[in-house]
Amino acid sequence: MKPTLILVGADKGGVGKTTISRALLDYFARKNVLTRAFDTENPRGSLRRFYPTMTEVIDLGHVADQMKVLDTMESANVPVTVVDFKAGNLSYALDLFERIGVLEAARNGVFNLGLMHVVGPSIASLDEIGEIAKYLQGVSYVVARNSINETNFFEWDEATHRKYFSAIPKAQEINLPKLNEMAYEQVDVAGVTFKDFIDNKSADGTAGKFSFVLRGYVRKWCSEIDAEFARVQMLADIISGGRAPGHN
Amino acid sequence: MANTPTVYITASDQHRNGKTLLARLLADYLLLDGRDPFMIDTDAPEGPLRSFFPGRTALADFAAMPGQMKLFDTIIASPGRDYVVDLPARHTEGFFKAAEELGFFDELKKIGFRIIVFYVVDRHAASLRAAKEIQKFPNIDLFVPVENQHVGSYWPKTEGDLVIPALPPKLAIAISDKRFSLRSFVLGDVQQLPAEFQTELSNFLFEVLSNLSNLEPLVTLQNLK
Repeated sequence: MKPTLILVGADKGGVGKTTISRALLDYFARKNVLTRAFDTENPRGSLRRFYPTMTEVIDLGHVADQMKVLDTMESANVPVTVVDFKAGNLSYALDLFERIGVLEAARNGVFNLGLMHVVGPSIASLDEIGEIAKYLQGVSYVVARNSINETNFFEWDEATHRKYFSAIPKAQEINLPKLNEMAYEQVDVAGVTFKDFIDNKSADGTAGKFSFVLRGYVRKWCSEIDAEFARVQMLADIISGGRAPGHN
Repeated sequence: MANTPTVYITASDQHRNGKTLLARLLADYLLLDGRDPFMIDTDAPEGPLRSFFPGRTALADFAAMPGQMKLFDTIIASPGRDYVVDLPARHTEGFFKAAEELGFFDELKKIGFRIIVFYVVDRHAASLRAAKEIQKFPNIDLFVPVENQHVGSYWPKTEGDLVIPALPPKLAIAISDKRFSLRSFVLGDVQQLPAEFQTELSNFLFEVLSNLSNLEPLVTLQNLK
């Protein structure tokens, strides 16, 4: 099966982008899909804190780091590569990928390319979609609407939304539920994956002492996210191993 | 069997129908029976149950996450003893919803608890409906419909229900004083209760406490089924 490169990005910070990358890596782990990840938040790399063994921190501005991702797509023998773009970097990164031929390679079928675009509840988020539409030929595009705060509103202007959306082939939308803040903080403090938190396992593999209540809320949140991810064609194809239905 | 640690939940979807009196009777019954119950009063900030059992009652505001953690995590972190969880009407639905979402009852069973739910059913159609919903909940060892005769009940008479007889208003007020201990009264300390009420309270307590002790074989029967 062709490897898949999934870009996770947002045009502004604080919309839960890294959370979604984490949820995505957790999702693949639960489905037994081998994954590797790149964190472009150089040099801090918050994604690496949660997935130290599978995440590498890179600087997309460096050719050597670009090569680390792209030239190893086939040789790494890992079906999924997740790249967590630095916040506010999406248009820049897509432009860069266009210039160095990544998007073209995807269009030519060298590998599958997906973009998970995490947007917050503001109108500005819609404009972001308009800005990046030109890069999205041949890309599985997923808008992940993230309910980052309690108000939980999405003032989407439906007409504008349709205008942007219809311009993008293969576009899908998912809604990400909000995780209780206290639960979120405890997972963050523990520095573990959502899966390990649910299973009450510390970062060093020993039994954790996490709150039953918070574990329960994380589990519920994960199952809600799973249901949303399950609707995404690109992810379904990866999990089914790229087989068409009816084939072995 | 009688020594199996148990989580008792007293609940109702309606106000002012004697639920806290029930929780109090239950706690006193357990103490008289030589058990060591710990109470969790979710009716913050007042904490009516706590005022009767200071020192062995935690006040947990179920409306907020720390309160939910206090309730669920306390019980799960310290198994091996009895708990009485008193839910005011406004938290009853939320409690059972959260319990289901979090798998609380499954976890309690896993760590060796029995679960007994007392539900005060009064003369509201909604109350009967809500009680029937809770009764269907999986993993409850015994569901006890409670009729407070002071307010009446729509629950059809059954063998396993618990009846709280009506008390004369003056007696009800006298025992609602937080300094009045029902347990001490049973043990012979009348605590300045006027003589004319003493026989009445004795009869009341005899009836309720013996009904509570009759529940034990019912749990066993229920589990055999």
